[in-house]
Amino acid sequence: MKRKETIGAWLFLAPFLVLFSLFIVTPVFYGFWISLHNWHILSKQVDFVGLRNYASAIHDDLFRISLVRTGYFMLMVVPVGNVLSLLLAIALNQKYRGTTLFKICFYTPVLLSVTVVALIWRWMYSHDYGLINHYFHTDVRWLEDPRSAMPALALMSIWWGAGGNMLIYLAGLRSVPKEIHEAAELDGARPWTRFWYTTWPWIRPVALFCFVISLIGASQVFGQSYILTGGNPAYSTLTVILYMYQQGFGQYQLGYASAVAYLLFLCVFTLTLIQFRLIAPRGSR
Amino acid sequence: MATKPLNWTILLIALLGGCRSHGPGKTSGVEELTFWNGFSGPDGKAMEKIVSRFNQEHPRIHVKMQIIPWGTYYDKLTLSLAYGGAPDVFIVHEARVAEYASHGALTPMDSVPGTDMSDFVPSVKQVGLWQGERFGLPLDCHPLGLYYNLDLFREAGIDHPPTNLAEFVEDGKKLTKPGQWGTAMTDIHLVGSTLLYQFGAGLLNPTFTQSTLSSPQSAEAVNTLLSFSDKYRISPPPQGNDAWMGFQMGKVGMVFQGTWMIDSLDHQKNLHYAAAPVPFFGPTKAVWAGSHTLCIPAAEPEDRRRAGLTFISYLSSHSLDWARGGQVPVRLSILNSPEFQQLRVMREFAKELPYIHYEPFAVTANQVEPFADEAIDASLNHIDQPATLLKAASDRIDNVLRRQ
Repeated sequence: MKRKETIGAWLFLAPFLVLFSLFIVTPVFYGFWISLHNWHILSKQVDFVGLRNYASAIHDDLFRISLVRTGYFMLMVVPVGNVLSLLLAIALNQKYRGTTLFKICFYTPVLLSVTVVALIWRWMYSHDYGLINHYFHTDVRWLEDPRSAMPALALMSIWWGAGGNMLIYLAGLRSVPKEIHEAAELDGARPWTRFWYTTWPWIRPVALFCFVISLIGASQVFGQSYILTGGNPAYSTLTVILYMYQQGFGQYQLGYASAVAYLLFLCVFTLTLIQFRLIAPRGSR
Repeated sequence: MATKPLNWTILLIALLGGCRSHGPGKTSGVEELTFWNGFSGPDGKAMEKIVSRFNQEHPRIHVKMQIIPWGTYYDKLTLSLAYGGAPDVFIVHEARVAEYASHGALTPMDSVPGTDMSDFVPSVKQVGLWQGERFGLPLDCHPLGLYYNLDLFREAGIDHPPTNLAEFVEDGKKLTKPGQWGTAMTDIHLVGSTLLYQFGAGLLNPTFTQSTLSSPQSAEAVNTLLSFSDKYRISPPPQGNDAWMGFQMGKVGMVFQGTWMIDSLDHQKNLHYAAAPVPFFGPTKAVWAGSHTLCIPAAEPEDRRRAGLTFISYLSSHSLDWARGGQVPVRLSILNSPEFQQLRVMREFAKELPYIHYEPFAVTANQVEPFADEAIDASLNHIDQPATLLKAASDRIDNVLRRQ
């Protein structure tokens, strides 16, 4: 009986596993294999070069620049985005009319593709006709000035993604038992103390999840700069994935592009480990 | 067996795209050829006419042309050459022939039947060669040119287009007044490259092993370009300024653009313009130019290769119609014909043919070109000193060359 169930389970899993191994697992290892070669897309035979692509990437100042730019983007998007999502979730967790409407409003951007979002914001950021310069009476070339281009992309990304994490935080907040809140309230705890000592411990795993997911998402930022700035001006929005794309699909250097991808993976993997140590509840490891 | 998944993919793509797959090329004795190019502008219409005339005159060959905008053209072409589905004849820009040829993706064409190489302009004969062997036939040449507004010139009392830096600056000053500019930056790549070549600078050394972009001549070239907006104030700062639109609206007196832009001017009402060779800003006679090269993929079946060469030869010898689409012909017999001499704008651009300067015919051309543009762009936007930016770009190019 047990055995039969196991076979059944594997059968149900099979369609997913086949696709997963074909399109995720295999490319992951194949990508590593490619990264060890001097591999032009048209090459009939490819030269094995060992770790040379990795060494070149570390000595390539544009790769280092792209890492710094990606880090800058993550530093803006991950903390601000998560705090904003949490605040929105707390606000929408109250009981008043119209919360559903607000939820829909905040969540709608998540459903848009990056192209749509980028095209909307290109118009918003436009120097001459843009809504932002118009309403705030500013005179900034948002996407053409190296100082403002990346923050502009970050702001757009926060707007785009805030609703997604908001829903997850909201679900987390709903799971906090009411009795704890009531007990804290009776004991005379102020709102902030109440949040920090009763709500936060409950939603900590949710926060960890949201942080890790948005960190990984932000480290792979691509569409925003690909569509809006192409990495310009003066490489100020050159992100790692965009650089990888340019190397792999602009210049067909698949080996080098794969090495860049693997180096980014190492960075994100390390960062995720650190995050787990920092916010995971004690004793859960 | 190994090709099976590929066949299914092609079939699927063909079904989804609603287009005929690249299957057997022969239907009832007619050789069917596919021809890919990126002529998505008015040049595409000119090419369509030539192709349909070819089809009428050659009952045994039928050419199907597919236009893919340049923005995605090379992605599609490269993938088709790598994994199958490549067209029988296609266009490659002159600077990318080396990359494709070095990977064995092109068929050598030592002789094109019915095409006499001595009829080609000498400066263009090198196009399509890689390591001394011919892999592509140059169809045309499209150098950078000077366009100027006749009404604004008359108003400012200028009787001939400038030919050197001093004249250009003097004319620019005469043309600049509130709401109007002497010149404006159109395309950083084309104009920047021209300036570099005119000052004897360039991207790579003759053996393509090292960058020469950090030379003092490069900095001089970029500083000259910068002086138009900074020192002489005859050009607006490049940021957020649509120079070509300004010229079309009659707000800019002189602009540099490729020959292919003619059509957009001829349809502009109230614009009286003329063309001239680009002035010599530096000590060397040179101007940036590109050429469309006609190529055939490697491993093309013999009868289709032959049909492809017939088509290529036809295009090459019928390039007068192509000139009307905005390209300078490269056949002496066409350049000297009275019909061509009647094209008043093209005729001027053709004067540049003896000293045109191509991008390096290096395997790495596609990889190293963007670095120079970035440095020039950053210089014009005052990110840093031109010399510093050019040095950084030069180091990056050397980095790429070391990686090969």
